[in-house]
Amino acid sequence: MKHRINWITLIAVLATVMLVGVGGCKKKPTAPPPPPPPPPPAPTASITANPNSIERGQSTTLSWRTENATEITIDGIGNVEASGSRSVTPTESTTYRLLAKGAGGQQEATARVTVTEAPPPPAATQATDEELFAQNVKDAFFDFDSYALRPDADQALRANVQFLSQHPNMRFTLEGHCDERGSTEYNLALGDNRANAAKQLLVQLGISADRIRTISYGKEKPFCTESNEQCWQQNRRAHFVFQR
Amino acid sequence: MTNHAASLVRVTAFLVALVLFTTPIFSQDWIRTGTGLGVERVRLAAPDFKAASSDSRTGELLKVFNDTLWSDLDNAGIFDMVSKSFYPLAVPGNPQEMKLDAWSNPPPNASMVAFGNLGVAGDSVSVQGWLFDVKNPASPQVLGKQYREAATPQNARLIAHRFANEIIFRLGGGIAGITESKIYFISSRTGNKEVWEMDYDGANQRRVTNLRSIALSPRISPDGTRLAFTSYARGNADLVLYSLELDRLLTFPRFGGTNASPAWSPDGSRLAFSSSRNGDPEIYLVDVLGTNLKRLTAYQGPDVSPGWNPKTGAQLAFVSGRTGLPQIYIMDADGANLQRLTDGGYAVSPSWSPNGQFLVFSWMRSYGPGAPGAQDIYIMDIASRQWVQLTHDGGRNDSPSWSPDGRHVVFQSNRSGSDQIWTMLADGTRQRQLTNSGRNTQPNWSFK
Amino acid sequence: MAARAEIFLEAENWRQPLLWSTLLHTAFFGAVLGYALIYEGRSGEPWGGGGEGGGAMSATLVSSASIPLPGSEVPTKNVLATESKGLSQSLPRAQEKETEPEAVPIPAPDAKIKRETRTTSARKPPPEPPVENVVPFGQGGPVTGPYGVFNARGASGGFSFGGGGDFGSRYGWYVDVVRRKVSENWLKYEIDPNISSARRVYITFEILRNGQPANVQVEQSSGVPSLDVSAVRALQRIDTFGPLPNDYAANKVSVEFWFDYRR
Repeated sequence: MKHRINWITLIAVLATVMLVGVGGCKKKPTAPPPPPPPPPPAPTASITANPNSIERGQSTTLSWRTENATEITIDGIGNVEASGSRSVTPTESTTYRLLAKGAGGQQEATARVTVTEAPPPPAATQATDEELFAQNVKDAFFDFDSYALRPDADQALRANVQFLSQHPNMRFTLEGHCDERGSTEYNLALGDNRANAAKQLLVQLGISADRIRTISYGKEKPFCTESNEQCWQQNRRAHFVFQR
Repeated sequence: MTNHAASLVRVTAFLVALVLFTTPIFSQDWIRTGTGLGVERVRLAAPDFKAASSDSRTGELLKVFNDTLWSDLDNAGIFDMVSKSFYPLAVPGNPQEMKLDAWSNPPPNASMVAFGNLGVAGDSVSVQGWLFDVKNPASPQVLGKQYREAATPQNARLIAHRFANEIIFRLGGGIAGITESKIYFISSRTGNKEVWEMDYDGANQRRVTNLRSIALSPRISPDGTRLAFTSYARGNADLVLYSLELDRLLTFPRFGGTNASPAWSPDGSRLAFSSSRNGDPEIYLVDVLGTNLKRLTAYQGPDVSPGWNPKTGAQLAFVSGRTGLPQIYIMDADGANLQRLTDGGYAVSPSWSPNGQFLVFSWMRSYGPGAPGAQDIYIMDIASRQWVQLTHDGGRNDSPSWSPDGRHVVFQSNRSGSDQIWTMLADGTRQRQLTNSGRNTQPNWSFK
Repeated sequence: MAARAEIFLEAENWRQPLLWSTLLHTAFFGAVLGYALIYEGRSGEPWGGGGEGGGAMSATLVSSASIPLPGSEVPTKNVLATESKGLSQSLPRAQEKETEPEAVPIPAPDAKIKRETRTTSARKPPPEPPVENVVPFGQGGPVTGPYGVFNARGASGGFSFGGGGDFGSRYGWYVDVVRRKVSENWLKYEIDPNISSARRVYITFEILRNGQPANVQVEQSSGVPSLDVSAVRALQRIDTFGPLPNDYAANKVSVEFWFDYRR
C-alpha cells in the first residue's frame, strides 16, 4: 500500500511538474524588444549556368535570382529582370558576372561556362556505316579456276542485296582475288571475271551499277599466305570493300 | 636353264639393238636445229688474256675481262668450251706467240682459240683480241679486234661482251650475240613491286620505276626506249608506258577495267593487251599513242597474255580460259584463224621465238585439287605441234621469255624456295639462277 | 636337293618346251621385226613429226615466205649435168678471177662452164673414187681441210666453193659454219620413206655478201623428187650463214653441194 501510494504520488508530482513546466513554457510570453529601425536590405544575387560545360556551338542556360536589387546586370547581356533565365551560346569559355545593385548595396555573383572543342561530327556517323557494312555484307567465294557463282556464293550475294538495298547511299568496290597458284597474268583476268560475276548478280537483283566499282588484284593481295587448300579457298573470292 | 637364259639374253640384246636403231635418240635435234643452238658445237678455247702493261689497275680489269669473256662464250650455247686445265702452259698474248699445233692437238684439241691482251695506259684500257682457226695453218686468223675505253671495271666488262659478241656472230652463223641485251623484270625487294633491269647474265641489277604501287608484266619496246606494264598507281589495273630515257610515265589513255599483259608488235607501232573494259577480259590492239583501239576476241572467259610472232608480226599467241582451264591459242593479228595448240592441263604465258617457229610456255599437265603436278616450261614447234618439256626440277616455273638470238629462255622459278629469275638454253640445258634477293618474277628479254 | 630332283624329272620333257620356246621366240621376233619395219617406215617422228610421210610436203613452216620451188631440169642444164667427161683442165683459172667480182647476173650456161673448170682444177682428190676414170660433174673435190665433207644421219655430203678454190682454204671456218648449218637443216622426214637410197643430188647456190643463200638450184637430180626438194628446202630454211668474211673481195661466193642418201 505504501509503495503504490508513493508511486502515485511520484507520478502525480512529476506530471504536475511536467505540465506546469510545459504550461509554464507555453504560457511564457516573451515580449520581443522593440526592433531597431531596419537598415535597407542588402541585395542578394546568385547565378548559375546549366550546363556549365558545353561544346562549341551548343547553348547553356543562365539562371539567376536576386533580391532587394533594383538594378541587375549581367556582363555580356545587359540589364535583366530580377530573376530569370536566359539561354546563351558562348563561343569561348566565359565567366558571366551578375551584378545586383540595390538600396542596401550591391552583390555580385558569377557563373563560369567552359566551352570545349566539338568532337568530329561526321566520323561518328561514318564509322558506324562502315561497321554496319562490314558486319552485314559477306564476300563470295569461288572454286579453283572458276568464276561461276556457287550456291553458297549466290546465297551470300542475295543476302548482301537485302542489306544494300536498305542503304542506297552506300557505295562499294568489288575486288576479285585468286589463290597463289597459277600465273600472275591469268589470275588478273580470272579475278576480274570473279568481281564481274558478283557485280552482275547484284545489278540483276536491283542494285544500281554506279554504286559498284570493280577491280581485280589477281593473286597480288592475298588474305593469307599458307600453301594449303583452306588458305587457297580463302583467297578465291570477290571481296566487298566499303567506299567512303 | 642355261639354254633358256642364253637365248633370252640374245633376244634381249637383239631387241635392244632394234630399239636403239629404229627409235629416235636425237629427239631433241629439231629443237637444236630450229633454235640455232646447233647439233654440232665448235670446240673453242679461250685462255685468259695477257696483261700488256704493269699499271696497278690492270690486274683488276683483266680479271673482270677474263671472267666476263669466259662466261659469255660458255653461255652462248654454241661452243664446246675446252676446259682451262687442258691448255698449254704458254698462253699467247698476240699472234706471234700463237702456236697452232699446241692448241689443235690433244689435249686441248680445239678448233678455235680466242686470245689477246689487255693493257691500261693513262685513263684508258685497251684490249686487243684475236680469234684463230687452229686447224687452218694456211690462214688462221678469223678476227682481229681492238678496243679502247675509259679504264673502269664496267668498261672491261663491256669490252668483253663486245668481243664475245663478235665471236658468237661469226662462228654461230650470223646470229648476233646477246651479251649486251637486257632483261626487265618485277622485283619486290624494296617492299613494292617495281620494274627492274639487269644484264643478260644477272649483273648490274637496278631499279627502273619508283611508283610505290604494284607493277606487273613489264615489256620493253623493240627499240629499247619504253616499257609497257600494268600499274595500280592510279587505283586501277591500268596499262602504262614508261620512258627509260626521260625516266617518267608517258601519257597513255586509261581504258577502264583490268588491263593486263601488254605485248609490243615487232615493228613497235602497236600494243596487244588484255582488257576487261567491256566486262570480260578480251585481247585488244591499240596504237602506241593509245588510239585505234580494236578488239580481237569475243568469247566469254578470261583472254590474256598475248604474244606476237616476231618474225612476221602477223600472228598472236594468247591464253584463253573459255573452255575451262587456260589453254594456248594462236590467231592472225586481225582475230581470224583461231587455233588451239594445247590439249589440256593448265597452259599459260606463251612466248614466240624470234624465228617464228617455236613457242615456249608454262604448262601444268595435271591441274586441279589433288593433282600435284609441277608447273614446267615447255617448247612447242608450232607447225608440227610437237612439244618437249624443258624443266624437270619441280617447283613452279612460269613466264618464259626468249632471247633475241633464239637460243636462250629466261623464266621465273621457285625451286630455290622463293620466286627468282632463271635462265637456260632453249633445249633445257644449263639452267642457272640470276637473282637472289627479294621475290623476282615476270622476266622479259629485250629485242636486241 | 629337291630342286635338283625336279630338274632330273624335267630333263625327260625338255624337247617339247624347247620347241614351244623356239616357236614363241620366233613369233615374237618376227612380230617385233615386222612392227619395227612398219613403224619405221611409217613414222616421221624424229624429224619433227609433222609430215605424214609419203613425199607429201605436209609440214608448213610458219615463218617461211614463199618457197621458190627448184627449177626442174631445163634441157640446157641437162646437157651439162651428165656424168660424161668434164672439160679438160686446160682452161686458165685467171679468166674466172677477173670476171667473178663483177657480180653481174651471169647467164646460166656460162656459169656452168666456169664452175666445171673450177672444180676440175681443184687441188684435192675427190673423197669417193671417181667413176670411170674421169672427173664427173661436181666431183672435183670438196673444200680443203676437214671442212668439206659431212655426215648427217645416213647421208653424207660434200661441198666445193667457188672463188677459185681459194675460199675454202682461206676461210675454212666459214665453210665449217656453212657445213654445220646445212647438215643440221636437212630434215629427212620430207623424203619419201620408201626410198632407201638414191643417186647423188647436186645442188648449187650462192652466198651473198650478207650471208644469205640465194639462187638455190638442183643441178643434177637424184631421181627422187622428194630427196631433191628436201635438199633444196634445207638451204631455204637457212636465213643466213653470217656475212662473208670481211677481207673476201667478191660480193658473193658460189657453192656446190652434193648429198648422198642412204637410209
